[in-house]
Amino acid sequence: MHVIWALCQKEWRINLDTPQGYVVSIAFLLASGFFFGSNLFLNGQADMRHWFAMLPLLYIFFIPAMAMRLFADERKDGTYELLATMPTRTIELVLGKYCSLMGHLSALLLLTVLYPLSLALLGDVDAGLIAAAYLAAWLLAASFSAICLYASALTSHAMVAYIVGLILLLSLFLLTQVAPTLSPALQDVVVMLGPINHFQNMLRGVVSLADVVLFMALTIIFLALSWFELERRRWR
Amino acid sequence: MIKADHLCRQYGTSFAVQNLSFEVQQGEVMGLLGPNGAGKSTTMKMLTCFLPPSSGDATIHGLSLSQSLQVRRLVGYLPEHAPSYHELDVDAYLQFIGKMHGLPPATCQDKVAEMSKACGLEQVMFRRIEELSKGFRQRVGLAASMLHDPKCLILDEPTTGLDPNQIIEIRHLIRRLAGQKTVLLSSHILPEVEAVCDRIMIIDQGQLQALGTPAELTKQAQGGLLLHVTIQGSGEQLCNHLSSTFSNLEIQHRESLDNGDTRYQFYHPDASSALAEATFHAAVATQAVLLEMRQEKASLEDVFRELTGGTSCT
Repeated sequence: MHVIWALCQKEWRINLDTPQGYVVSIAFLLASGFFFGSNLFLNGQADMRHWFAMLPLLYIFFIPAMAMRLFADERKDGTYELLATMPTRTIELVLGKYCSLMGHLSALLLLTVLYPLSLALLGDVDAGLIAAAYLAAWLLAASFSAICLYASALTSHAMVAYIVGLILLLSLFLLTQVAPTLSPALQDVVVMLGPINHFQNMLRGVVSLADVVLFMALTIIFLALSWFELERRRWR
Repeated sequence: MIKADHLCRQYGTSFAVQNLSFEVQQGEVMGLLGPNGAGKSTTMKMLTCFLPPSSGDATIHGLSLSQSLQVRRLVGYLPEHAPSYHELDVDAYLQFIGKMHGLPPATCQDKVAEMSKACGLEQVMFRRIEELSKGFRQRVGLAASMLHDPKCLILDEPTTGLDPNQIIEIRHLIRRLAGQKTVLLSSHILPEVEAVCDRIMIIDQGQLQALGTPAELTKQAQGGLLLHVTIQGSGEQLCNHLSSTFSNLEIQHRESLDNGDTRYQFYHPDASSALAEATFHAAVATQAVLLEMRQEKASLEDVFRELTGGTSCT
């Protein structure tokens, strides 16, 4: 446990002390603010449906940027050798990095709670619906983070990690977009396994076990893949 | 105590380290020498459980490398180029290392203070590592490797990039550690290894070439005796006299200098022969004037060059 906590503290400290962390955060908040404000006054409705629908797209561009340096830079700077020769298990390193990333994203999502709070001043908001949507947003972030962490474990170049993460997330997104043109059997698969589809389900305010399990499964699979990738490299 | 038993590491089909066996006693400073690409770093990476050996094993204080977590608790490691997090300040970095080792916060504080004092880091504690010079970064790495009070220290080129003063400081530090900790350090600066290490191990192409104290190794490499002599005039009489009294003598080199003097190099295959004395007596007998006489000793550099196939040591 102390390893995970120490890694989290280190990552947050680097995020706060150097531009790399807060530049991404500020850019994320600016983009999210834009999507929140742009349709609000056109529609004249006190809901956040539009903002939540845009959120996956924001994630696709920003989560790879937040995750790219986590393992890639450690390997490039040789500090991974330090981490791996301390009395730590590889899985603890993976979880430490993952928790630091999730901490960062959770903090950003927490800041966006200002949006529903300000909406509540303007009109009646459906608190249950928004709570379910936030849970969905957090779960989607959790699985996307695991995917991008895996991308970072694959390479020692942060830029490559960004592109790989972006491609992985974008292909998940596009799969949902092109689903209507696919054969019915394939459509069923996409609806069943596509994280964006499940995210959209949850935006309706219904939290079903299937949705939660899918996000958790994706997270666990990609954390395990990152772990395998790091272990495998030692044997090459 | 470090004991390696037929350690091998393969990258694809080529061996980086092959059948390496050696022992470092408790409290001893062992130097690992070899040309670039000889397998020094690979050996160290295996001993610190970063790379698993392809075959063979090593024990560190009786623990096999397969008991990786326990071994890593006993070992402090400074990788080549002393990597660290450049975005952090020295204090935060050392605290992080302490936490990763699971030191309780109070102990961690004490240890950070102790090690930063030992490595002369007090005046840079709150500066970012990226702002520090190479020498300070190296010392930060060294402090980090000793923070959890390891029994064994494995240092990969601890003095590269340091200025002469810093090198001497680091040497003193390592000498101070000797006796309490088992140290294995690699280097390609030979005088340094000679000054710091109790014993030396030379490897080339992944294989052990020689192991012993610096004195033993130089003796082993010496082979014959080489004498540089400068004589006034041609000195031919002296040579003839010497050849007749001394069998197996070889005149390796003869050079006439501008002022009429002659410089010779005499070689005798037996290192313990009294060649210098015989030369003196021959000079007296032939009334030759000896201007210079110097016996050449094999240095560690010669040993190194001989054992590593003449490849240069840089």
